[in-house]
Amino acid sequence: MDMLEIKNLHVSVDGKEILKGIDLDIRAGEVHAIMGPNGSGKSTLSYVLSGREGYEVTEGSIRFRGRDLAELNVDERAAAGIFLAFQYPIEIPGVTTMTFLKTALNAQRKARGEAELDAVRFLKLVREKAKPLNVPDEMLKRALNVGFSGGEKKRAEILQMALLEPALAVLDETDSGLDIDALKTVAAGVNALRNPERAMLVITHYQRLLDYIVPDAVHVLSGGRIVKTGGKELAHELEKTGYAAYDADAA
Amino acid sequence: MNDKAVQIFAETYDRERAVLPGADGWLARRRDAALKSFVEAGLPHRRLEEWKYTDLKQALEKAAFVPAPAHEGAVVLPDMAAASAFAAIDRHVVVFVNGRHRSDLSKAVRLPKGVELHSLTDVLHEQWVKELVERRFDDARQSENVVDLNTALMRDGAALRIRKGVCLDKPLHLLFLAADGGASHTRNLILLEEGAEATIFESHIGVATTFADIVTDIALGDEARLSHVKLQHEGAGAVHLATLRARLAAKSRLSSFALTLGCGVSRTQNFILFAGEGAEAHVNGAYALKAEQHADQFCVIDHAVPGCTSHSLFKGVLDGASVGVFQGKVIVRPHAQKTDGRQMTHALLLSRDAAMNAKPELEIYADDVQCAHGSTIGELSRDAIFFLRSRGIPEVEARQLLVSAFLDEALDLVPHETACEALRLLVAGWFADGEGRA
Repeated sequence: MDMLEIKNLHVSVDGKEILKGIDLDIRAGEVHAIMGPNGSGKSTLSYVLSGREGYEVTEGSIRFRGRDLAELNVDERAAAGIFLAFQYPIEIPGVTTMTFLKTALNAQRKARGEAELDAVRFLKLVREKAKPLNVPDEMLKRALNVGFSGGEKKRAEILQMALLEPALAVLDETDSGLDIDALKTVAAGVNALRNPERAMLVITHYQRLLDYIVPDAVHVLSGGRIVKTGGKELAHELEKTGYAAYDADAA
Repeated sequence: MNDKAVQIFAETYDRERAVLPGADGWLARRRDAALKSFVEAGLPHRRLEEWKYTDLKQALEKAAFVPAPAHEGAVVLPDMAAASAFAAIDRHVVVFVNGRHRSDLSKAVRLPKGVELHSLTDVLHEQWVKELVERRFDDARQSENVVDLNTALMRDGAALRIRKGVCLDKPLHLLFLAADGGASHTRNLILLEEGAEATIFESHIGVATTFADIVTDIALGDEARLSHVKLQHEGAGAVHLATLRARLAAKSRLSSFALTLGCGVSRTQNFILFAGEGAEAHVNGAYALKAEQHADQFCVIDHAVPGCTSHSLFKGVLDGASVGVFQGKVIVRPHAQKTDGRQMTHALLLSRDAAMNAKPELEIYADDVQCAHGSTIGELSRDAIFFLRSRGIPEVEARQLLVSAFLDEALDLVPHETACEALRLLVAGWFADGEGRA
């Protein structure tokens, strides 16, 4: 069975149609990349998967592990195994990263009927996941994303993903705001999470990220539709030709 | 004096004058004068600038507040969580029920030498008591009137005097329980002599329709240190009027924190007067309101001498159709150079029907000072709620996490670690009790 099955998906924001009939299937173990010019609907796709309010599905369906996503709200989707790594992670003043991580993990465990982790076991788990991402204890004690550099924010996102172990990870422009060293760290963190049970959808404007997170398939999104699908080499092709050839208005 | 409430208070005074404590001495004359002055001015009304946002008159006229009866035997209150908030802390406890000291419920034994703790009624002959009761704060004229009401009708309270250099061994908890409806007029007097130190918890707990009228007069000698933690959790129909007046001598330090959770209408007034150089006042508070609650935090800090520091932070969350008020004024007198004054107030509205009125003021007449004030009124960030939910945290929990984080900045300032945790638990209980409606 497909992990994610999107059929003829139309999505409107404030009455304006942004996605105009998307079809996309992702199997467990696969990494798919969505590339496209600004305004093509990439972030809309990520938000509609997460269930954000204001993103209205007007037609079509999204099934996640055989389940209609329309039945699940934002936090239920997260507990069911969908994770969105934000392009611009939100600052949460007053809530330490550690408290946030513990609250999130235990909320998901509770929703799945699993026992909550006690402080000791949680701390051990966090440290184990934080180390390869170069997230020091000091950062965990700071309020989530408040005063974090671009690299710290993205590392914090990947740490959340590593801890929450989603079945489907959606990475929205994870490369934005990163220098090459930070990009490598983040990509290594993502690659470490690749496994046969997990699927990933990597949304990016640039091919650069895909040198480090090598996808199984690349889709070009333009004007709210997937206009081309290919292998990893398609990303390199786009890097040379740009998106002009796929411009919806020009086509 | 056409006000019904004023008339009831005046009649109460006439009836009880002969039996109120101190009927045969200086206090009787002081009471007469105070009542006269109170009746002449009447209850504060909203045309007075200092009372613009709180209609005390209307609140008091809703219920006829005759004195609460004396209460004997055990006290059972439905909300014991607030009454026992500080129970885990090793402390001295002095209990008042319906405004009267109850020695059978109190436990303040083996006080260190130099610590004099009495019921107010037992020490009325002492000079320091007279001085504190007769003290007036000139810059609080419009608010002084409610102190007159208290002076006229005060029945009991705690009188604590700590001699020079003595440190109170453990916190003193003044626990005020309202077991029945009615008014209680309480006067607390706290005198810390040079270098003395104490921590005081003051809690006001009740469920009935009560009027708690409390004045706490504080005098800190040179280098004295007082930490004061106040908890107010009275019933939905209750009116709470609390005035804290503190005079700080050189290099003394007052750290006070008030958590306001209960009551229909509450007004919490702080008047801080710096009388000696190098003193510090930290006057902070938090409130969490819901339904039709109205809470007014009023704070005047008078830098009458140079080189003093005052920091204030008041934070509140308002749900339902509740109303919050913050009025704060920092006055820096012409010669009060090197003053460091900071005053901040932040409110979070959780509902479209809640309202907040904030009026932070600075009055600076000196030129070499560091002063800042600020005020914000906002609501929870939808982006933040979405972010938390996208990590699997249900909406109610996400809102609670954000609101707690908001209040934590203020609660962190509670000047006693265990009391701080106790207050956090009460705030968490406040959520469990109904916050979270979208």
